[in-house]
Amino acid sequence: MKLIKSIVRPHKVDDVREALEKLSIAGMTVTDVRGHGRQKGHTAVYRGKEYSVSLLPKVEIEVVVPDTVVEDVIEAIMAAARTGEIGDGRVFVLPVEQSYNIRTGARETN
Amino acid sequence: MTGRTDTGGTDVQESAAARLAAAREEYAQLARRGRAGRDAASRYSYQMDGVVQSIVAGARDRTSTPFVVCAVGGYGRRALCLHSDVDLLIVFDGTIGAPEERFVNAVLQPLWDLRLELGQHVREIAEFSDPDPTNPEFLLSLFDLRYLAGDEALYDCVANRAAAHIPTMIEPLLTLVSERHAEFNNTLYQLEPDIKQAPGGLRDSAVIAHLRAMAPEAFVSGRDVDLNRVAGAEDFLLRVRSILHVLGGRDVNLLTHELQEKVAEMMGCAGSHPHQRVEALMGEYFLRARAVTRALTSTERALRPRPDVALRRIGKHFEITADGVQFANVERATQQPSLWVEAFRIALEHQCAVSDAALALIEQHAHRCSADDFVATEGDRLQLRRILTPRAGLYERLSEMHDCGLLNRIFPEFAKVHCRVVRDFYHKYTVDEHTLLAIRNVESLLEPASVARRRFSSLLQELHAPELLTLALLFHDVGKWREADHAQESVRLAQSGLDRLELPDDERATVEFLIREHLQMSQVAFRRDAEDPQIAGRFAELVGTEEQLKLLCLMTLADVGAVSPDTLTPWKEDLLWRVYVDAYNRLTLGYGDDLLEGHRAGLSVLIAGRPSDISEQELVSFLEGLPRRYLTTFGLGAVYRHVRLARNIQPDQVHAFLENHDAVWELTLVTLDKPYLFSNVSGVLSYFGMDILRGQAMTTPDGLVLDVFEFADDEGFLKQNVAATSEVCRVLEEVVAGSLDVTSLLKGRERSLLNRHRMRRPPVIHFDNEHSRKFTVLEIVADDAPGLLHRITRVLSAEGCDLHLALIATEGKRAIDVLHVTRTAGKLGDAEQESLAREIERVLEVGD
Repeated sequence: MKLIKSIVRPHKVDDVREALEKLSIAGMTVTDVRGHGRQKGHTAVYRGKEYSVSLLPKVEIEVVVPDTVVEDVIEAIMAAARTGEIGDGRVFVLPVEQSYNIRTGARETN
Repeated sequence: MTGRTDTGGTDVQESAAARLAAAREEYAQLARRGRAGRDAASRYSYQMDGVVQSIVAGARDRTSTPFVVCAVGGYGRRALCLHSDVDLLIVFDGTIGAPEERFVNAVLQPLWDLRLELGQHVREIAEFSDPDPTNPEFLLSLFDLRYLAGDEALYDCVANRAAAHIPTMIEPLLTLVSERHAEFNNTLYQLEPDIKQAPGGLRDSAVIAHLRAMAPEAFVSGRDVDLNRVAGAEDFLLRVRSILHVLGGRDVNLLTHELQEKVAEMMGCAGSHPHQRVEALMGEYFLRARAVTRALTSTERALRPRPDVALRRIGKHFEITADGVQFANVERATQQPSLWVEAFRIALEHQCAVSDAALALIEQHAHRCSADDFVATEGDRLQLRRILTPRAGLYERLSEMHDCGLLNRIFPEFAKVHCRVVRDFYHKYTVDEHTLLAIRNVESLLEPASVARRRFSSLLQELHAPELLTLALLFHDVGKWREADHAQESVRLAQSGLDRLELPDDERATVEFLIREHLQMSQVAFRRDAEDPQIAGRFAELVGTEEQLKLLCLMTLADVGAVSPDTLTPWKEDLLWRVYVDAYNRLTLGYGDDLLEGHRAGLSVLIAGRPSDISEQELVSFLEGLPRRYLTTFGLGAVYRHVRLARNIQPDQVHAFLENHDAVWELTLVTLDKPYLFSNVSGVLSYFGMDILRGQAMTTPDGLVLDVFEFADDEGFLKQNVAATSEVCRVLEEVVAGSLDVTSLLKGRERSLLNRHRMRRPPVIHFDNEHSRKFTVLEIVADDAPGLLHRITRVLSAEGCDLHLALIATEGKRAIDVLHVTRTAGKLGDAEQESLAREIERVLEVGD
């Protein structure tokens, strides 16, 4: 099992969700976050005054998937979230040692 | 009471279990028929007494120390539901040692074995001399102290000592209430209410009884609450709660969407379809909860009279007392509905409530009034607008208006969403309450809770007519009475309300725009790529003007914030602000390149609607070279007036038109361009003591200049002098023609005024060469001062710059000027910008 954590543009969330649903990935955690990567924010001007927007609004989407579909999921997320511009985001893949269903107590395997 | 048998505790336990099972079955049967109200709870409490007493009797020989076992909390006041906690207090007249602990175990263990949820307190009597002030909940539970078993003299001692603390508990109790209400966003109109804890719930009805018991002297005649309504509400709430307990098999108090259908059916709510029964159930719930909330508010008012309010007479018809605004003549008030609205206006202006007596009178007579009764005169309509101006207390007064039925009478369109439940994933409140909470969110911007909110707060301060925002919010969701595109339906329903208010065309169009498009900004901010130039451009085009942008931004913020306490996150506020700033910059910095002639649709409307004295050629020729923004800013009537003003204009001539709108004057002026023109015109207004509030100037490539200034006549020159308007026009003509020098006219005046209006903060001067292809856009934000615009624009001319477009605005004491300039027909380079900035800074500092 892998935890796939992707940081995407806010307006791309629905596209990513749809892409994951097509792969029958139902469960996901979506969190509003702020941050920056290489994009490092930018400067905005309002009424003549410059202010820096260093932490940009992004959305973090987390899914835990079996090893067999990891590549498909990554590809789907990247295709759905890409605009080609700086600031499209990142996808991280982390190993998951164990997973439990709290209601049933069952341990889930890969 | 059953005593202890020879066979030990087993018989006692079995007998108690049988007794409890019978009591529960009886209670559950009543609950399933929706009839387990106050009587059932009382009877169940009585039967529980028997269970506890039998067990205490079986355990009493474990200790020789005198003890008393009491019921407290809900059990103490005989309001025990099927799975409520059984709250017990065991007090010993001495030190608690091993025998007393054995006694406590012998009482509690069998009760736990009966699967009862206990809330037990074990104390020594000495602890009541100096109770722990950090545990007000325990002290408050003692208000419902009731003897169950043990030493009666000790019970009297406990009761007396608890009573001694009663007067000190009023404020802690009110604090607990306020903290609990805050968890529910201070509103009873929850779509999935907690029957016990939510405002207007069972806990509040208990609080009313407690407060009355704490200070009976406060409830003298005239300040009393309708206790029958509270008792009726409590009965209803208990009936609902008992069903929740039966259905959930535990202490469940949340009336969720899933449970509402079942509860409605068991309560016997009217309706042939489940959703009708749910509507009936929730309608009655809100009615009952409102009765409790109103009684609690009234109780609080009686306990916390405003000390600084002595009886004051306001005009002929009103007086302000500690209870709020009262009608001086009840008979007259009964006959004159316009006085009802006036009572609310006075309450808002004097920052007090409308008294319960006045609310009761309105509630009693509101049904015989129609919406037209409240807008019969210009004064009535103006009064309604004034009421809707965002200020402290607006939400509370509108809520009172809504509760007593007045709001629905004034705006029957709003009545269509009265207690309307729309189930979706996000909304937590009924549609009408969501609307009022959105208005509360606007009100809260007057005292922003965070630095991030201040930016939105400043937009509110800048609004031309902030009451239009409240009006639009009031109507924005009325279309939700049906399941369809609610924004369009809301616009349709709002028409009759807007007709009655007789708003000017431009304001009416703004309100309709806000209602129709109230979802657009959140769509762009949260669901679209707001950085996509096409999306951002389309949005800026949709809003058209800065005023509409600010209104829509605030409406979106207020609307999203009223969905639930968690919906409007700082993250979303940031997204919204970014969209606002981008659209604002597009509207103010980037509009110069977008000319009217490319937009046939706007032109064809103008051509089709033109009056007979204006030919198509004259109209087209006038509009040539004007920015597209011109049509979004001015209505048809204004455009045709401008065309007439431009007729036969010759060099050095000025065609001007001055008119008055309430406290604001508007000067429209057409002339042909020449150096120092804008500086001279604004200088003339300053010379006459006019405070320029807003304005815009446009110059066509052919040199036709159209300036429109809005200003306040602070010194009353225009008002006090009959010939003042012609005098202003005469001086304008002479100054433009060059026969009079405005700078020397202003010299003496500026010097004295500048000494009184020193700049407190350094000005912000910013150049932008990106937003426009043709112009350098100069933005200046500075403390407002007499002659400011004149001085700034004179520097531009002195530095050889041509001013093509100008947008002038004020925000409180700050002036915000956006000027589109060129020099030798091109944009300004870095060196030219630096030189210009230095010179502007210098004249702003010293006043030249």
